[in-house]
Amino acid sequence: MKHIIWPLLFLLVAVRYFTARPVYQNGDRIRISATVYQNAVKYPSSQFLKIAGLEIYLPKYPEISYGDKLVLEGTVEGRKLKKPQIVSIDKKTSLLPLVRNKIIDFIGEVLPQPESGLLAGILLGAKSQLDPDFYDKTKATGVAHVVVASGTNVTFVVSFLAAALFLFLPRKKAIPFVILGIILYLFIAGFDAPLVRAAIMSSCLFLSQATGRLSNPKRILILAAAGMLIINPQWIADLGFWLSFASTAAILLFRARIHAFLSRVPAVIREDLSTTLSAQIGVTPILFVSFGYFNILSPLINVLVLWTVPPLMLIGALGGVLGLAVPLLGKLVLLTAYPMLWWFTRVVEFFG
Amino acid sequence: MEERSWKTVFKAVALILSLLALAVFQVPDPSFHIVACDVGQGDATLIIYKNSQILVDGGPDSKVLSCLGRHLPFWDREIELVVLTHPDSDHFAGLIEVFEKYKVDNYLYNPLSISKPEYKVLENLGGREGVKQIYPLKGRAVGVGLIRLDILSPSGDGTGTEKNQEAAQEIPDNATNDYSIVSLVSFGKFRMLLTGDMPPAVSDQIAASWNSGPVHYIKTPHHGSKHGMTQNLLKAVMPKLAVISVGKNMYGHPAHEILDMLNLNGIKYLRTDEKGDIEVVSDGEKYWIK
Repeated sequence: MKHIIWPLLFLLVAVRYFTARPVYQNGDRIRISATVYQNAVKYPSSQFLKIAGLEIYLPKYPEISYGDKLVLEGTVEGRKLKKPQIVSIDKKTSLLPLVRNKIIDFIGEVLPQPESGLLAGILLGAKSQLDPDFYDKTKATGVAHVVVASGTNVTFVVSFLAAALFLFLPRKKAIPFVILGIILYLFIAGFDAPLVRAAIMSSCLFLSQATGRLSNPKRILILAAAGMLIINPQWIADLGFWLSFASTAAILLFRARIHAFLSRVPAVIREDLSTTLSAQIGVTPILFVSFGYFNILSPLINVLVLWTVPPLMLIGALGGVLGLAVPLLGKLVLLTAYPMLWWFTRVVEFFG
Repeated sequence: MEERSWKTVFKAVALILSLLALAVFQVPDPSFHIVACDVGQGDATLIIYKNSQILVDGGPDSKVLSCLGRHLPFWDREIELVVLTHPDSDHFAGLIEVFEKYKVDNYLYNPLSISKPEYKVLENLGGREGVKQIYPLKGRAVGVGLIRLDILSPSGDGTGTEKNQEAAQEIPDNATNDYSIVSLVSFGKFRMLLTGDMPPAVSDQIAASWNSGPVHYIKTPHHGSKHGMTQNLLKAVMPKLAVISVGKNMYGHPAHEILDMLNLNGIKYLRTDEKGDIEVVSDGEKYWIK
């Protein structure tokens, strides 16, 4: 039985992939109705979306964000939908995307760029607010995983939730709330592949703690990948999906060994350095092939900035949520994030 | 107290101290600053004196926000005056972001109606409560702190009169340059000419009616296009420094005719596509390039 499961899983993914491929032909004029689950990528004069496996470039306004219900018409050309026209757009119908957008707007009103874009990215993976030049520099320095929707975001949210809840509740009782919090975060931040991946994995790990079962993170990783591809086969062409899995796999495989190897490195930076170094092993080949980026200093840069991420998430979440109710108070809290954001941007700009 | 609480207190104090240090570091100096923002192909000129700012045009996208971030203290979220010279995308699109993220007190623009949907977004933002609209009239002067802005064009031939937005004059999208707001900005004895995308006809008009001596600084009209500055204008206003706000483009900006014209007249010029942000500082008498 045990040996059959893995090939079977692979087969299932393959079948899903081939049967879920769209049925329309080149030149077809089609109409798509969809709810947007990922945020549109903003370019200076346009925005980019992927719906129903088709790449779509739309004018910059109206802005499309996660949660919008969209009806589009266009002509299929290969993987692209050409001459797209928005038939109707139903904006911000649900509460959580609305909360997300309000928090991002508030951060943008309180802090200057690029610091505000950086904070929105760290807190919610909101790449849309990043200055394009600054975003390129984060990619070149190898810290983009902090500012785009990535497993790093989820990992920090989970650590906070767990730390906070374990103070008040016994571990077993707290775990369902932690998992609930993870799902809530997913609804606020959007369903980008890396976030979903990290959410599934951390939920599984906590579940196994709660039920007292032994868990194997490597197996959970593969199951999460397969499960995600069965539900949404389009993710197979998503770079974020691959980066997320490659980095996690590499961390699982190499982190312990690197950590042991760095026994002489001061404890303050040993954790971040060994995580970063091991993740690099996984993502470097992918980044190099797809963007031509390779930065030998990337682990060092990560060590220089990663320590700011947990406090920034805390300040950002506190200030953002407070700001929705009492803007002045939220503003004061968010301003305390400025020194760390300043440091982060200076490091990226220095090395970028 | 336990060691852990001490650590937390220590971290909080360090955070507040670094915040104060950065704040002190960013307190504006008492000089007059002009920054030609590097916004790619487009215009965005930021004028700063102490805590007052004037932003003339916003470039084509959100890059202008980073320019504001680089040159304003981090706590200053208010821009005293925003000027839109004319409604072309490479001048107005970035202002949408500025209106969304900053508190704008005054908005000087020409009430023109064009067909671009993005411009409707800006019209709504510019008409928001709390924003005072100012319409350009030839001869009108606007003061922000010690900065004075004299409007030289449009000349009041039907546009730029006291109209509300509903009555905005409809013009074709390709005629916007003719309505560019041209202004003379002065701080003490320092003077600069801001020209938007004014065409040669307007350039000659301004040259013909010019009677106020040389200027220190000219924003080269229309990104250095040959459909912009004229020899007559240079002769009349005799600028010492010309700044060309330009990025990668397919129109051949800046035109070699214009660069030759500047060279022949012995005028030093700087380009944002080569230098990035171009910051000129003045104490009201002398000026220097930072």
